[in-house]
Amino acid sequence: MAFRGRGRGRGGFGGGGFRAAKQEPFELYPELEDLGTAEYSNRNLQLIKWYSNLQKYWNSSPYYYEGGSERTRNVQKPDVERLSDKDLQVANSKPPLWHFIKLDIDHIPAELARGEKKEKRGIKRVRWNQESDLHKLDLFEKLEQKHQGEEGKENKENEDQEEDDEKNEEEAEEEFSDEGDYEQNEYFDDDEDDYNMGDDNDDEPFF
Amino acid sequence: MVSQYGIKLAAYLISSSYGDFCSKVCECLLSRGTLTLAQIIRFTELSRENVINCLRVLIHQNCVQAFSIQQEVAFGEAPKIVTQYMALFDNTIHKMRFPKFMQIVSEELGKDCLGIFEGLLQHGRLSLNQIIDRNMQTPDNSDVHAVRESFSRLLNARFVERCPAPEPFLAPPEEETPAKKRGRWTSLDLWDLIGLAPILHIAEAPKTIEQRALATASPMESIRFLMEIDTLRGTSEEKGMESHDIATLEEKWKQDFSDAELSSSGKKKEILWRVNFEEFVRRLRHKACIEYVRIRLSDQAGIVLSAILELTRSSETRLKTDKSASMSINDIYDEVIKKDGGLGMDLERVRASLVQLGCQIPTTGIDETYSIDLKNIIELAQNEEVESVVLKRYGREAYRIFRLLSKSGRLLETDKISDTTFVEKKDTLKILYKLWKDGYLHMEKVSVNGPKQTLFLLWEVDKESLWVRVLDEMYHAALNLRLRITYEQDQEKEILQLPTEKLVGELEKRYKRLRKVRIILESSLMNLDDALMLFHDF
Repeated sequence: MAFRGRGRGRGGFGGGGFRAAKQEPFELYPELEDLGTAEYSNRNLQLIKWYSNLQKYWNSSPYYYEGGSERTRNVQKPDVERLSDKDLQVANSKPPLWHFIKLDIDHIPAELARGEKKEKRGIKRVRWNQESDLHKLDLFEKLEQKHQGEEGKENKENEDQEEDDEKNEEEAEEEFSDEGDYEQNEYFDDDEDDYNMGDDNDDEPFF
Repeated sequence: MVSQYGIKLAAYLISSSYGDFCSKVCECLLSRGTLTLAQIIRFTELSRENVINCLRVLIHQNCVQAFSIQQEVAFGEAPKIVTQYMALFDNTIHKMRFPKFMQIVSEELGKDCLGIFEGLLQHGRLSLNQIIDRNMQTPDNSDVHAVRESFSRLLNARFVERCPAPEPFLAPPEEETPAKKRGRWTSLDLWDLIGLAPILHIAEAPKTIEQRALATASPMESIRFLMEIDTLRGTSEEKGMESHDIATLEEKWKQDFSDAELSSSGKKKEILWRVNFEEFVRRLRHKACIEYVRIRLSDQAGIVLSAILELTRSSETRLKTDKSASMSINDIYDEVIKKDGGLGMDLERVRASLVQLGCQIPTTGIDETYSIDLKNIIELAQNEEVESVVLKRYGREAYRIFRLLSKSGRLLETDKISDTTFVEKKDTLKILYKLWKDGYLHMEKVSVNGPKQTLFLLWEVDKESLWVRVLDEMYHAALNLRLRITYEQDQEKEILQLPTEKLVGELEKRYKRLRKVRIILESSLMNLDDALMLFHDF
C-alpha cells in the first residue's frame, strides 16, 4: 500500500518525456470542494442510523475479536487506581465468546468445537445490550464533570430508557461485590489487641 | 474467484465490524480459495488459538462455511477426512445492505419483528431460546408468546431460515463409466457456453466443490422454514398444514427428525436460525425491476409488474429466475386493484401495460396467462448503467458508438461505425482506441489479402468481461466511500463526543458539516450498492 502511494507521487514520470516529473504531494484523502454543497435528501436517514447502530454493536461485542485468550484482557491500569476505575473495568470487559456462540459439536465443526464442560459452569447473565453500558459510562463521566442532564449523541430518545433500566440492573450486580469487600472489614477480628490487654492486666499487681 | 477489489471490500467490511484478525482470515480464504485449518494458520501467520476463534466468529456470522471431505491418499493408507473452510463472499458483502433488509422487515411486519430481526443481524445465528432471552432484556419486552408469534411471522414471510449444517460430509463423486461421465460433464459445459445456468438441484451434482458443499449443507426445503415439532401441538401456523393430517405427519416427522436432529449425546439439539438472504435479495431484485419499468415505461406498467411479482414471489425456486411464473389475467387484475393507484385500472389498461412489458396477447383466448421476462429487464437496466458511465467518462460521441456496438452484439468495422453514428472517422478511431485501452471494447485485426493489403479493425463489446470489470470498479468505489466516511468521522471525533449544548459557533458549523457530509456519502453508497446488486446478485 505504501509502495503504491509513493508510485502515485511520481505520477508524471512515465509520460514519455525526459523532463523532470513534477513532484506532487500524495494526499490519501484530498479535500473535495463540492462535498459540503452537494444535494441530498433525508430519505436514507433511518438507514444510516440503523447501520451506525449495527456497527457500534459489533465493535463493542465479543465478535470484535482482538486476539489473546478468552480471558478478559488486562486493561492498562493507570498509575493511581481510583475507585471509579472499577466501573471502567466492569463495563469494558466483554463477555466471552461462548456466551453467544454455541461451541458444541452440533453447531460448529469438530476441530473448532470445545467440550461441554465449560458451558456447564453456568452463564450467569448473558448481556445482550453492551452498547448501552458503554453509553452509560460516557454518561457518568460527563455527569462527574458537568452536572448536566443526560445526552446521548445520535440515539438520544432511545437510549435514555435503556440506560435507566441497565443502570439499575448494573448497580444491583455491582453492589454485590462491593458489599463483599466492606463486609470483610467488618467481621475482621483484631485478636492481638485483646491479648495485649490481657497481659497488661496480669502484670499489674492486684490491689 | 472474486475480483481484486471485491476481496478488499469484503476484508474491509470484516475488519471494521469484527476486527483485524477476522479480516486477515477472511482475506486469506477469499484470495486463496478453500483451505484447511492448518493452511490458514500457515498463510495468515496467526496463532492457532486466534485462527480458531476467528473461524468461530466468522462461521457464526455466516461468512464462512465448513465442510469435510475425504482426502486422496497414497495407495494402501486409510482414507483421511479433513475439514475445509470456504469464504462466503456474498454474505460478507450483504453486511453493507443490512439496513435495507431492516427497512423491508419494518415496512412489512412492524416493530416487534424488527426487534427480533435486528438481533439476528447482530449475532448472525440465534436459537429460539436465545431470541426470547434477549427480548427480555430490551426496554419494551413482550411476553414469550408474543415473541414466538413475531418469530413465526418472520418465518412465514421467509425472512428467517434454519442455519445450514455446520460440517456436512461430501461423499467423493460416484464411480461412473468413463463414457457416461464424459457425457454428463459435456452437457453441463454446453449449458454454460450458451449462458444458461444449470438448475442447481440437490440431487444433481453441481460443478465446483464449493457449490456441492453449499448444496449439501443447506437444509431441505421442507424443513427450512419449519419451527420445532413441539409447537405443532398448540398452533398450526406453519405452511401447508392440514389439521386432519397433523397426527400422522407428526409421527413421521418425529421419526425423521430423531435421526437427523439428535446430537451425539442423545438430546435434541437446538436449532439455530439465521437471516434468509436469498429472500431479501429476491425482494430487492423485484423492487429494482419495478422501479426500472416505472421510470422507463409508465407508472401503470410498474403497478402491473409489482402485482405480478407479488403473486409469483412464493413460487420462485431460484434467485435469478428468468421468467416469472404464468398468471392468468384475472388474478393479475385482482391484485392490481388492491394496489395504490391501481384502482382506476380496467382490464384493457392492464393488457396494454402487459404489452408494454413485452408480453404478447394471446389471440385464442380462453386461457389468458402471462409471464414477464425478468432477465430481460435486468439486462436492460445493466446496459443503461454502463452506457451512462461511458457517457460521463468519454462524452456523447463515445456514448453513441458504445450503444451501437452494444446493441449490435457483433464485430463491426471502424468505417461502418463511423458512418452509422455520424462521427468523423479519425475521431471514431481515437474514441475506439480509448475505449479499447480501458477495457470496454474488444478488438480484432483482420488483414485481407487482395490486390492491396488492407488491415481492418473490428470492434465489439464483450459483455462478459466488461461486466466483471465494471463490477470491480464499483467495489473499488464502494471501498473508497467507506474509507472516506470513516476518515471524516475520525477527523471530527472530538466534536462527536461533546453534548449538543456545547456545540456553538465554530464547533456547530463543523458538526453540521460533518452531518451533511456523512449523509451525502452514505446516500451515495446506498445508491452505489443498488448498482452493485444489479450486476452481481440480480
